[in-house]
Amino acid sequence: MLKRFRPKWQHGATAVLLTLLVCLPFDWFLPQYTTLMIFIGLSTMVTVGLCLLMGYTGQVSLGQAAFYGTGAYISAALTKTCGFNPWLAMLLAAAGTGAFAFLIGYPIFRLKGNYLAMATLGLGLILYVLFRQLGPGGPSGTGDIDILSIGSFGFDTPFRRYFLVWGFCLVILVISQNIVNSRTGRALRAIHGSEAAAESLGINVSQFKVKIFVLSAIYASLAGSLFVHHLRFVSPQSFDFIASVKLVVMAVIGGLASVWGAIFGAGTTRLLSDEILLRFGEWDVVIYGLVLMLVMILMPDGLFVWLKGVFENLRTRLRQGKVET
Amino acid sequence: MSEPILETRGVSKAFGGLVAVNKVDMAIEPGRITAIIGPNGAGKTTLFNLVTGVYAVTEGEIHFRGKPLRKSPPHKRAKMGIVRTFQNVQLFGNMTAMENVMTGQHPRSSYGFLEAALRLPKSWREEEDIKLRAMKYLNIVGLGQYARHNALSLPLGQQKLLAIARALATEPQLLLLDEPGAGLNTLEKRELSDLIKRIQEMSITVLLVEHDMPLVMGLAEWVIVLDSGSKIAEGTAAQVQKDQKVIAAYLGEETD
Amino acid sequence: MSADQFLQYLISGLTQGSIYAIIGLGFTIIYAVTRIINFAQGEFVMLGGMLSFILASAAGMPLPAAVVLSIVIASAVGALMYLLAIRTARRASVVSLIIITIGAAIFIRGIVGEAWGVDFVRPGFFTGRTSIEFLGAFIHPQAIWVIGTTILVTIFLHLFFSYTMTGKALKACAINPVAAGLVGINAKAMALLSFVLAAALGGIGGAVMAPLTFTAYNAGLMLGLKGFVAASIGGFKSQLAAVIGGFMLGIVESLAVAANWGPFSSAYKDVIALIVLLLILLYRSGRLAEEERTG
Repeated sequence: MLKRFRPKWQHGATAVLLTLLVCLPFDWFLPQYTTLMIFIGLSTMVTVGLCLLMGYTGQVSLGQAAFYGTGAYISAALTKTCGFNPWLAMLLAAAGTGAFAFLIGYPIFRLKGNYLAMATLGLGLILYVLFRQLGPGGPSGTGDIDILSIGSFGFDTPFRRYFLVWGFCLVILVISQNIVNSRTGRALRAIHGSEAAAESLGINVSQFKVKIFVLSAIYASLAGSLFVHHLRFVSPQSFDFIASVKLVVMAVIGGLASVWGAIFGAGTTRLLSDEILLRFGEWDVVIYGLVLMLVMILMPDGLFVWLKGVFENLRTRLRQGKVET
Repeated sequence: MSEPILETRGVSKAFGGLVAVNKVDMAIEPGRITAIIGPNGAGKTTLFNLVTGVYAVTEGEIHFRGKPLRKSPPHKRAKMGIVRTFQNVQLFGNMTAMENVMTGQHPRSSYGFLEAALRLPKSWREEEDIKLRAMKYLNIVGLGQYARHNALSLPLGQQKLLAIARALATEPQLLLLDEPGAGLNTLEKRELSDLIKRIQEMSITVLLVEHDMPLVMGLAEWVIVLDSGSKIAEGTAAQVQKDQKVIAAYLGEETD
Repeated sequence: MSADQFLQYLISGLTQGSIYAIIGLGFTIIYAVTRIINFAQGEFVMLGGMLSFILASAAGMPLPAAVVLSIVIASAVGALMYLLAIRTARRASVVSLIIITIGAAIFIRGIVGEAWGVDFVRPGFFTGRTSIEFLGAFIHPQAIWVIGTTILVTIFLHLFFSYTMTGKALKACAINPVAAGLVGINAKAMALLSFVLAAALGGIGGAVMAPLTFTAYNAGLMLGLKGFVAASIGGFKSQLAAVIGGFMLGIVESLAVAANWGPFSSAYKDVIALIVLLLILLYRSGRLAEEERTG
């Protein structure tokens, strides 16, 4: 297979992480965190796409929650109002969201940084308004949405949905890591490193930017569909501007160009917002603002990547210490 | 005399009121090493940008292997075989030397998102090929031992060689080198000269912009001289050195 | 729609558009000098309104003093934002800077939301509330303040940039920062000044408009967006275009709501600005692509 220049400790860490993930929802372990972990998994799915988009092609999306929303709303509408099979609805939602991202992607990606950010911001807001006005149930949303099921096996308990969500999430993480390690990943990193040089080597920069945008939209849409079949309720509030900002916070903490860092980013942010800051009113927004500023000023590669670097440095110094003695 | 690999016919480029390149006609012979020289601001890099498609011509046509290039964007021209290096190197700082060169193989490989995402056999096979070829090009420029080093950790002279290896990995037909000798010491310049001759032996046509006269004179079989956007002379190195117009153009310049 | 009604909507559009114009000016100034798009621009407007209310009503200051103080505070926040967040980021990438200014925006918004709460507020009118009749339509005195302020500000800025040393220095920085540095202009000081100026503009706009339209901790987002639309009409380079753009946007919004035709009912009012934004950006993207190719 392909040889990887990956430090050995990562294999160990991955094994530990996977074991923890598998054991978590069981009664003898940490079942009280099952619901939180489901949300972390969903957030991770969206964040990975955002990390690829921002970290590799350097495009800021301030409206990513909108794609999460289209996935959710299309799934909700198709299953509840039109009686579609939820899996089919999820697929259609992903296809629709992807197509939409493709259509707006080309014109948007010809814009440079700032304009692009504003365009995504504007887009996110437009979709939010549309969700509020046209979505089933309007501003208060709608409930009673079906669950996903395979034959007679329904994903009707958090326990089952946990594995469903994390199954999707892990597949997405692996796919994304594969992409990063491939020719496509190199092209993306090249674009981030120097667009002019990338273009001079035959890389169609605009096309790649659009492709990643579409990919990130599809990830978000799938997450949105899973979200709706878990909560069995959908309302526009989940997809507003602050939701998009929260996703950027997760990406920034996780490391803009890091795939697995997305778990870290989503995890810490969710923990922060859902468990800790809930008791403090609007302070979560203040903290997000602070985090965004501090991390981008001090560790522009993202918190997780910075931490990894610190860790590696420590290891190198420890090893050097051992050699000297 | 075979058909020129690159031809510019009456090519001009104007930025608003400023004319950077003024009706330049040139014909580059395949397999020959051609140099474009001229005082600062003569329009040499702009000409490169026109040939590679970074800028669109205001006037005139550019033909590559007999076919007009029109408005092809740079990435298409790279696939056709026109590749360049940059004055300020422009390596990918977020990759190792090896990965930089592997990126150069982009136009000669084809597996896409889907194959990459699912790690299909086509992707592994092509990756192996890409790695082998990248290593080959790294060795050609003498940087094989630095494969795993971060690209920007190398000193400038080696960074320039790396950029050339990366460009070679695209398997170009026409290689444009933009001031490859800038910032190199005498030894490095000699190695560069040897490298360029080896590139010529690989049947790649080299077109270089350079300021270093001895380097140019030792390498170039044909020299084109630009001044203020216009071509003022062309010929062999010896002919051009003696041309009155060329001497006059450079008299205002500080020579190093 | 009768001529009177049309005029009424026009006036309301001009009033609203004045604010977009002022915000657009703020964007343009910062962008011109620093090439940064300040996503927190809308928050300065919010601060202007919120602070003047808080100072006047809650702290009992006389209204004029409250207004002036709120503008001063907004300017100070702008200065702090530049000094602490932007300057320390040094050679940050465009992505970083965008995220930093967004971070600043929600930080400011969050603090105000926490400190004051989420309720709408309305500071007192400057000169009472008797509407003045004008050609069959009614203008609220506050609206005159709003439109008048915008016009005065525009004229002042024009004079400032054309005839004062500091103004010219700012302009020089905008045109060519390297050359400006060479003739002794301190780029960092100019950048700081641009932030302070933009924040002051925002504060003025907010203070003068809040009595008319209410304000709340989260007003900054849409206002900032609409100001951005206004500024992008001029490509962030032309102050006059930003002002005209702002007025036009306000009028278009007003008329669209007036028509009350299907998709343009008031719920969608904001969407209009957003659609205009996307159209402008689309147009610009075409132009940008052309510009890049032809240099």
